[in-house]
Amino acid sequence: MNEPVRLQFDDFSIDDEIAALRAVSRRIGGIATFLGCVRDFSEGREVTQIGFDAHEVMALCELQTLRAQAIERFALIEARIVHRLGAVSAGENIVLIAAAAEHRAPALEACRWLIDELKARAPIWKKEITPDGDAWVAPHP
Amino acid sequence: MIRALFFGPVAERVGARQIALDFRPGLRWQDVRDELRARHPEAFALVSIVAVDGRRVADAEAEADAVPLADDAEIVFMSAFSGG
Repeated sequence: MNEPVRLQFDDFSIDDEIAALRAVSRRIGGIATFLGCVRDFSEGREVTQIGFDAHEVMALCELQTLRAQAIERFALIEARIVHRLGAVSAGENIVLIAAAAEHRAPALEACRWLIDELKARAPIWKKEITPDGDAWVAPHP
Repeated sequence: MIRALFFGPVAERVGARQIALDFRPGLRWQDVRDELRARHPEAFALVSIVAVDGRRVADAEAEADAVPLADDAEIVFMSAFSGG
């Protein structure tokens, strides 16, 4: 079984992540997910890839902290966070957040909270790679 | 020895992911920032987050957190994050 929080260069399987969540408990009544993908267009430009750089040690530690905080804050049964690094092509997966709870509301709320906090707190940076050149992406609220 | 680390847009502007500096007693992270900012002003214009030995210390411009560095300390100068 993969770790519930990971940074990895390869793609991930959503089915495998959900299966790992479901294996934790039969008390789960709802699983909410957020899947971030690479858009092929941004601010008027074609985007072919996004390159992700990270302070891997700090980022992994921060994501593990986020998971623990979300489990406590929303009374989750389990949560998983997987974020890719390196070059990710348009249309591919970037990040998966999956939150499992007894009921749908905390699962959905936790999912939203986790992606917002990840963007604010995890030392990860992305660069859009376009036919006209590359540009680091400014943080979005 | 003090290691300064850079990632993403800051690393690109510095032209390196790591710079080693000599340790001296009483050295603060702010001293390291000032020295490196003078050498790489365009890179440090992006820096808004600083971590020492894996722990965020303060806003990069704050002067209150003036704890001297240990030898072999690792300082990370980072721009605002944009993952996800």
